[in-house]
Amino acid sequence: MNTPSSFTPSDCPVGPDSLTQITRRQTNPTRWHGAGWTDFAGALRAAGVDLLESLAACGAFATDAGGTAYGMPHGMVIAKSAQQISSLLKIAQRFGVPVTVRGGGLTTEGESVAFGGVLLDMTGMSRVQTIDAGALTVRTQTGIFWHSLAEELRREGLDYLSAPLNLTSTVGGSLNVGGIDVNSPRLGCSADQAIALQIVTPTGEIVECSETENAAQFQRAILGYGQFCVITEATLKIRRYTPVRMQYFYYSSLTTAVEDLQRLDRDDASDYSGILTIMDSAVNLLVAFDSDEREAAFNQRWKAQLRGHGELGFALRALPRYLLQPWKWPEALYLLRRKKQLFPEFRRPEYVRDGLMQDRTVVFSRAVWKYWGSRQMVIPDLATSAEKFVAAVTRGNAVCRKYFPHYTLYCVGIKLRDDHKPHYELSCIPPDAEGWAYGCEFEPMMDRVYSRDHLQSFKNEIYDIGLDIGASYYRFGGMMKGYIRRAFGDEMVDRHLAMKQQADPAMILNRNVVF
Amino acid sequence: MFDIFAKATPAPRDYAACSGCSLCLLVCPVWRKTRDLRYTPHGRAKALQHGVAAADLKDSIDSCTLCGACVPACPENIDLVAMTLDLRRQLPPVRPLAIGTRGVKKIADYSRQSVLLAGAALREHDAARRAAMQLLGCAPVLDDGDDIALALEAGAQISAARQEEFLLPLRTAAQLIVADALLAQQLGRWLPQMQISNLGMALSRRADLRRQLRNDDLYVIEPRAYHADYEARVRYYDDLRHATGCAMNLDLQRIAIPATARSLSQRLGLKTPDDAEQTHWLLQGRKIARIVVEDAGDIAAFRQISTLPVVHLAELPND
Repeated sequence: MNTPSSFTPSDCPVGPDSLTQITRRQTNPTRWHGAGWTDFAGALRAAGVDLLESLAACGAFATDAGGTAYGMPHGMVIAKSAQQISSLLKIAQRFGVPVTVRGGGLTTEGESVAFGGVLLDMTGMSRVQTIDAGALTVRTQTGIFWHSLAEELRREGLDYLSAPLNLTSTVGGSLNVGGIDVNSPRLGCSADQAIALQIVTPTGEIVECSETENAAQFQRAILGYGQFCVITEATLKIRRYTPVRMQYFYYSSLTTAVEDLQRLDRDDASDYSGILTIMDSAVNLLVAFDSDEREAAFNQRWKAQLRGHGELGFALRALPRYLLQPWKWPEALYLLRRKKQLFPEFRRPEYVRDGLMQDRTVVFSRAVWKYWGSRQMVIPDLATSAEKFVAAVTRGNAVCRKYFPHYTLYCVGIKLRDDHKPHYELSCIPPDAEGWAYGCEFEPMMDRVYSRDHLQSFKNEIYDIGLDIGASYYRFGGMMKGYIRRAFGDEMVDRHLAMKQQADPAMILNRNVVF
Repeated sequence: MFDIFAKATPAPRDYAACSGCSLCLLVCPVWRKTRDLRYTPHGRAKALQHGVAAADLKDSIDSCTLCGACVPACPENIDLVAMTLDLRRQLPPVRPLAIGTRGVKKIADYSRQSVLLAGAALREHDAARRAAMQLLGCAPVLDDGDDIALALEAGAQISAARQEEFLLPLRTAAQLIVADALLAQQLGRWLPQMQISNLGMALSRRADLRRQLRNDDLYVIEPRAYHADYEARVRYYDDLRHATGCAMNLDLQRIAIPATARSLSQRLGLKTPDDAEQTHWLLQGRKIARIVVEDAGDIAAFRQISTLPVVHLAELPND
């Protein structure tokens, strides 16, 4: 482990008043230079695996959603079956060729970018196999986008339990890293919804696993950041579909909004909850319900106790504040412009009718891609216990204020399951969290061009807060992996590294993502 | 500073703006069939960004159905149909198309009447074509520009003489009702003053036809016209769906699922169409008793895999 040492700005450009005494190095992986590639490619093709080496095939995978890490594979393979992936991994082990697995490519730190070697595109395996409406389970290939799964389930009047609010997240990607929805405060993360998996180990064995069958492999696969296997099929819990009834409350204080969010979660007052902000000036606590009964109970017992306001009430309270502070008028105009852009998007009648939102992921994801997405997306985050969350959010918010004129915070809770603690180790779930973990994403608006150094400094400063207060991160891999040992400690990391070396002797699978 | 009240309508962007979000995959019928990124707008845009030439994307360019579902899905506002058509124009023709003049001796005069440009698919279903003409009060037309529609789709050259021969009589019409969406869009550019309507919209506005739609119908919107004017039509069809109770070929994003997924080679008759998987997907899990189509080209595809009655919108029994 690198011991903390004195830091000089020449090591890496960082903000001048970010935490000192912490060594920080941007950890772009070294490119694998292709030793033995020709022999490997020949062996792969002899085994019947279609390897694509053209620029047209590989170019689409040069970066991820983050758009700051660039690498090119030597070749790519479109996933077709567990047997094909098994052949690929066995031959890759023999030749020492790295294999990078990609689902929707929604990583931001280059975790799904191949810096040489093979890129395995899992979206080739994206078919639903069986839907059991009686048992409320689905068996699916894991390269499927959650949205495509929703399209199939909805025809049967069914829905998945929880999935990221992004149409192009894949099931496999979420099982590997978590997957957070606005119903995660009740249902846990997406990875918690898996009942059984088919995996292919780094040495090419095809294994069926669950809590009761090959349990150790199941534990390592779930939230395993792709280190211990390729997940090829999953059996997931599902539910009957219901549209959701949304309510929005607006705050001018982050702390107050977070406190109210946590109270609602503790009291199980809503089916969905989360915070989405425009800087720290307009803090929106959203709550939603699967049934009229749940909403009526909320209206009766909790609504009056929330300290947020409706849209008009919030505007009336904000108006005098801005009138008395003319230097903040540009901010007020930005809020108005943003409101004009966003609010109609969240109320489009084809998605929201009679107060019911038909599909939350469609509404949120379309808005996110349209009004937050850009060629670069930098979204450092902090994941903490409930007790530390207010501090994490307020300190992270101050960092955002320092680096960017405009940004968004997204906060949500994750209900933890005691029986899933083995899954949570070395993951986004902080070791000290009990009951709920909380995550906050800090997303700058890329309304101008920022240098990579500026963005990296911002990320470092957010992550430094995590080290200081004892947090975890949703995006700790790839370019941010330098924080892993500092966040989790040598003992835990070395134990997992030993497991990785045993499972993946040539260290070929998703190399450089975690270890 | 005060632009907050301005209505922004950003101009369409080109392939260079693709951020690789993959949202186009979710709605692409070719992706559904192949699960291969190379055969998607995302794959083509990214390849172009890496300097790949159109000739190296030949199969991908041919595979595109031009359904346009990717256009409203794209958060970067890239005109992905235009991108594919532009690529087609850069390639040698898949099949040489003879788009010459037809040597029409007498120029038709529509005397301010409505004209239906039915196209090849609707002409094959003559009863539907006649019904549509009667319902919409259209004059008969000798030249409906089906060769021009095909040329537009293939990215082939259309001679100035043929273009003028086609347009000259149309200038005398009061309005054009066009079955083929690509042709309708091009006519909008050629005849900017002309009132041009899409056949599906023109028919579905009629109260007598609306009354015939039932809640156990699957109403199949013609996707090209729908996606070309998505913001207006998504509301229109949503209202129609709620007013009639019928199911529609719309996904959860309210993007139209095409009933067929035909490549250019298949449209030109060089390869056999294989619509079954797409059509099965459209019907999967739906409890319906009848299929009502806007595009006559969908009738055969449904009849191949389903015993349900399939009718063109114009053929719905009248009050």
